Amino acid sequence: MRIALVFGAAVTLAGGAAIAQGPPPPPKPETVASRPTATGGEKLYLEHCAMCHGPNGMGTGLLGRRIDVPLLEKREGLNANYIVSAARSGIGNMPAITRGELSDADLQAIADYLAAGPNP
Amino acid sequence: MAEPLVPPRLTSARLAEAQKALESAIGTSRVFFTELDRTSYEDKFAIDDSRHLPGGAISPETVEEVQAAIRVANQYKLPVWPISRGKNLGYGGSAPLLSGSVVMDLSRMKKIEFDEQFGVVTLEPGVGFYDLYDYIQANNLPFWLSTPGNSWGSVIGNALDRGVGYTPYGENTKNLCGLEVVLPTGEVIRTGMGAFSNAPTWGTYPFGYGPSWDQMFVQSNFGVVTKANMWLMPEPESLMGMDVEFDRPEDLKALVDVIGPLRRERVLTQSPSIGNWLRAAAVLTTRDEWTDQPGALSDSVIDAIRKRFGIGWWGVSLRLYGREEINKAAYKVLEDAMKAINPMAIKPTSWVKGQPMEYSGWTGTPITFPMQNVNWYGGRGGHIGFSPIIPQDGDAALAQFRRTYARYREYGVDYQGSFAFGERHLTNVNAMIFDKDSPEMMAKIDRFFRQLVADAKEQGYGEYRTHLDYMDHVADTYDWNGGALRKLNETVKDALDPNGILAPGKSGIWPKDLRRERGQ
Repeated sequence: MRIALVFGAAVTLAGGAAIAQGPPPPPKPETVASRPTATGGEKLYLEHCAMCHGPNGMGTGLLGRRIDVPLLEKREGLNANYIVSAARSGIGNMPAITRGELSDADLQAIADYLAAGPNP
Repeated sequence: MAEPLVPPRLTSARLAEAQKALESAIGTSRVFFTELDRTSYEDKFAIDDSRHLPGGAISPETVEEVQAAIRVANQYKLPVWPISRGKNLGYGGSAPLLSGSVVMDLSRMKKIEFDEQFGVVTLEPGVGFYDLYDYIQANNLPFWLSTPGNSWGSVIGNALDRGVGYTPYGENTKNLCGLEVVLPTGEVIRTGMGAFSNAPTWGTYPFGYGPSWDQMFVQSNFGVVTKANMWLMPEPESLMGMDVEFDRPEDLKALVDVIGPLRRERVLTQSPSIGNWLRAAAVLTTRDEWTDQPGALSDSVIDAIRKRFGIGWWGVSLRLYGREEINKAAYKVLEDAMKAINPMAIKPTSWVKGQPMEYSGWTGTPITFPMQNVNWYGGRGGHIGFSPIIPQDGDAALAQFRRTYARYREYGVDYQGSFAFGERHLTNVNAMIFDKDSPEMMAKIDRFFRQLVADAKEQGYGEYRTHLDYMDHVADTYDWNGGALRKLNETVKDALDPNGILAPGKSGIWPKDLRRERGQ
């Protein structure tokens, strides 16, 4: 297990006990405000995906248990069709992302952005 | 192509007409009735995947579109299940209680207005904690949020379901101050000072004149909240506190009896939560690293996990917010109180405005990583929680823990429990983590949950919030005077929603011509 990726796991589900000798402190969440020049798929990714797939997100933590590059933006060779399918149907512990939340066009833009990765 | 899922009172033909009417009302691009749409709105953490199936979904973007959709629902007696963002995982997520209901997904209603002078934010239901955090960061506003362990969801949706955060503003529903609501007949109202045209005080005085209705729209099916004012906490000058670990299960009694008076006295203005070792460990590791034995974990395995991560059987974090001088004085009080009950570790923490900040729930930073606990058993994980309200008393808390822990062992489920302080009560959150790929495990969760409800009922302890599966069951336990409160709720329901279209069954409240669905 790549526990180092679980930043700041000292804080627990209901806000409980911290660990005396725990991992490094969690980083600041990445949102649009942290990348004000982001546009298109990148901006949509920050709005809709980064809460789980950013540096301290649930998705990053769980992927970090299985693969070497858990941050989706840093992945190489992601397939856009696969991303769309995984998001719409859900995958593993990830719930489905509905069309009410994210339109087909916006999801495609995110998928294209990630498929063009790794991104800076 | 799969057949449409037809709700009670409609036929396939009428459902098709209703779908067309919705498309005319809000546009075809925001009416979702494909098979994939229906499955995408199902409950990811469902115990029984055959229940609570959405018939379709719609995504209005304005109050006028909500009204238009409500009018169509009334015309066809179409049940509509509003969700803010549908991230209420463990309670049903985006799924409706009554199968065939059309989910009214308010995710795209994302307007934010902010009154910096008074720290009042006016939000639409689609605004998530990350959206509001982003707004505060982008505008460099000196305010902190009150975020829950899963901050993916809606800010006002969380408050409307009585979710909690960990700052002094942590009882989120108490920070609602005036709502805008579309009633089930389509009329729009504003509560509190919002009822007074052009009042500049809608977001600052919560009560208005005459009866005060905000809580009527909390955990209810009496209206669609389309806007809410919430109070945000001004960024404090100082944040101080400590993370404290305790070694033995029986230490719970002393913890409750020492922290309780400090909370009631308001030395502590935030609400601490005492959590067991698994609450911390389930985020950090998975069960298969430690054992392949079925049933609840043995004490030797628990000891090994605790040793590796340096955690107590119980842990609690205490935080002080405000002026530095006052915090320093209060810290001494907390430290003396904790040292008096023999903790195994105290880790102090201190921050002053201008220093690098800790990005955690204590500073109102949105987080999602605690949901990693669903991977504890491996497979497609999920969880539900049984959370009765119990007295803020050490003996009562310890007895509740022992009773519940014994049940976890009896049912072979690993215990993840916590005792969260309110000002005068404790919320005993018992999380049941499960693996949806294990039929053996899934087969016992329902029986286990009902057992805990029955055990708590014997003590007079009722749940504060529950999953779709148990809304009727929990409502049954609120039985004083022949269930008089539910009778009142359903009298109000029938008066406000004569066609019974809005969220039938929510919190055990059914409209008159769907009461046969109760308990189904």
